[in-house]
Amino acid sequence: MMPKKQEMMLLRQEQVGEDIFRLTLQGEVAALPGQFVQVGVAPALDPYLLRPFSVHDCSPDTLTLLYRIAGRGTLLLSRRQPGEMLTVTGPLGRGFPAGKADRAVVVAGGMGAAPLLYLLRFLRAAGKDVAFFYGARTAAGLVLQDSYRSLADEYTAATEDGSAGKKGLVTQFVHPALSGKKADLYACGPLPMLRAVAALAKEAGADCYLSLEARMACGVGACLGCVIRGADGGWRRVCTDGPVFRAEEVFGR
Amino acid sequence: MTPDLTVKIGKLTLRNPVMPASGCFGYGEEYAVFYSLEQLGAIVVKGTTAKPWTGNPPVRLAETPAGMLNAIGLQNPGAEAAREKIRQLQQYNTPVIVNVAGHSPKEYLQVIRILDEEPAVSAYELNISCPNVRDGGLAFGTDPQVVNTLVQAVRQATEKTLIVKLSPNVTDIVAIARAAEDAGADALSLINTLLGMAIDSETRRPLLANLTGGLSGPAIKPVALRMVWQVSEAVHIPVIGMGGITCAADAVEFLLAGATAVAIGSAHFINPTVCPEVVQGIAAYLTRHGFRAVREIIGLAKKAAGGEGEKDAGKDHCRS
Ligand SMILES: Cc1cc2nc3c(=O)[nH]c(=O)nc-3n(C[C@H](O)[C@H](O)[C@H](O)COP(=O)(O)OP(=O)(O)OC[C@H]3O[C@@H](n4cnc5c(N)ncnc54)[C@H](O)[C@@H]3O)c2cc1C
Ligand SMILES: Cc1cc2nc3c(=O)[nH]c(=O)nc-3n(C[C@H](O)[C@H](O)[C@H](O)COP(=O)(O)O)c2cc1C
Ligand code: FES
Repeated sequence: MMPKKQEMMLLRQEQVGEDIFRLTLQGEVAALPGQFVQVGVAPALDPYLLRPFSVHDCSPDTLTLLYRIAGRGTLLLSRRQPGEMLTVTGPLGRGFPAGKADRAVVVAGGMGAAPLLYLLRFLRAAGKDVAFFYGARTAAGLVLQDSYRSLADEYTAATEDGSAGKKGLVTQFVHPALSGKKADLYACGPLPMLRAVAALAKEAGADCYLSLEARMACGVGACLGCVIRGADGGWRRVCTDGPVFRAEEVFGR
Repeated sequence: MTPDLTVKIGKLTLRNPVMPASGCFGYGEEYAVFYSLEQLGAIVVKGTTAKPWTGNPPVRLAETPAGMLNAIGLQNPGAEAAREKIRQLQQYNTPVIVNVAGHSPKEYLQVIRILDEEPAVSAYELNISCPNVRDGGLAFGTDPQVVNTLVQAVRQATEKTLIVKLSPNVTDIVAIARAAEDAGADALSLINTLLGMAIDSETRRPLLANLTGGLSGPAIKPVALRMVWQVSEAVHIPVIGMGGITCAADAVEFLLAGATAVAIGSAHFINPTVCPEVVQGIAAYLTRHGFRAVREIIGLAKKAAGGEGEKDAGKDHCRS
């Protein structure tokens, strides 16, 4: 789908965790899982830039985002009320592919869970057997667990402090899910977690798709502001070459 | 009647006075999915150098109050590869202006040599904000003598329309403007970004890996407008005004200050369709105020300010 700019009406703003909100907008952004949108958080020139958010879910008449208050822009966004209009540009970037294996192992770290709900729905629809791993620092970082659980065949939660689910880093518990049938790996979360997932994939010989973040301005590939260094030494634009990359493109083989 | 929006910049006649600013529009393809680029007065492509430049390491961007800092470092594929992308733009039947950069006069001339035979290139915009490596790394655009020499050399190398893009990071921008005009520039564009920086108080580190970057966006508009006013008064060649334009009213301010055309940069990042919206907004403004042509409002605020005069009327100073 070609991206477009549109005014979307805010339907619902629900607090689903500590500083975490689920925002539902009216209208269609025909996105693939892993794609993102750029949102004008306030109808003003300050803050200036749009904020990138993954598509948490979408339907022919709604777009849902899941976001955490991380600074001034997201704070302003959390104060927007039902009935207000937001400017949204999207869908942007490359999303997750369907993958070749019949089994999918999906790993979320903290707010990295945001794009993965829609991915789970997509993998389900493609008839895959899905194992979902959801990690966070504390119980407060695990949100909407019922929604995620309902879309996965196997569900594992973990927290670093053990306040919910297993105690430890979520990547410690993924290995058994990879030992049986051939699986594709999908992940979104902090960089160290993605590195660990890439290592697991390498060991298992699995295809692995990772969703990355970077500071962005244009979101469409024009400004070259969002680059990361690829494993081959060349630049990749997170907004258009990603945000989903094959693991070897970022971390090498 | 729809107002006449055409303006002339050097040898070019633009269908309207609105163009993207260099570096904020890639090579056009990214925005062609949002609207037909035929709606632009001209297409201005990324800063292009003789050889590919890798640019600066990330983090390259930081948001600041009503603006942003960038330290892209002129990452570009080099003039040969750029030529292929520029050829794709011919389908839009709109003049293409190539922003030219280099570390030495020789590097600027190499770009011209590579592109000058290319019919898809209509004009050059010399980015003189680059550090002059041979002369201690100070930007070319900070010394009138250096500017004069560089622009003369480029002037001799091309018949195409030559625009010189001025840096605001100077003590006297009028002196630089005159130096470029004297050396044969067909037009001037201003302003490039203002040098700035940002520090994260929590981590106690500069936000940009490059430490400093160029400030753009609404935060710089008053500075840009003042410089356009001063420069357009001092030279007899057209000025392309830019810096913080986000809507038609901003663009009209620049025209009233003496700019013949305007460029829109970082506003693309908050509104991908800003250029066509500004074109329509200027037309609506002219109609609303009873003007038949955009040329009628160029420099008009100067008349209102007491007859210092727009540049064409400048010769008649002593009448009053
Ligand atoms: C492709 C992509 C998808 C994202 N999806 C989500 C999501 O679904 N849910 C969610 O909660 N967050 C998501 N983020 C992160 C989100 O964009 C930032 O948390 C948000 O921009 C912070 O803005 P702020 O004004 O609150 O913070 P501030 O720190 O005040 O922002 C200052 C500037 O830095 C940028 N910035 C700050 N943090 C980040 C970051 N982590 N990544 C990129 N830019 C940042 C802002 O956009 C802004 O330009 C995503 C980021 C990217 C790149
Ligand atoms: C990301 C970015 C990249 C830029 N790259 C160039 C460039 O390659 N050459 C150039 O002359 N100016 C470059 N500029 C400066 C702009 O063309 C323009 O002069 C400046 O941003 C002020 O306009 P604005 O406030 O509308 O953005 C760049 C600006 C930005 C924000
Ligand atoms: S954000 Fe502009 S190129 Fe990616």
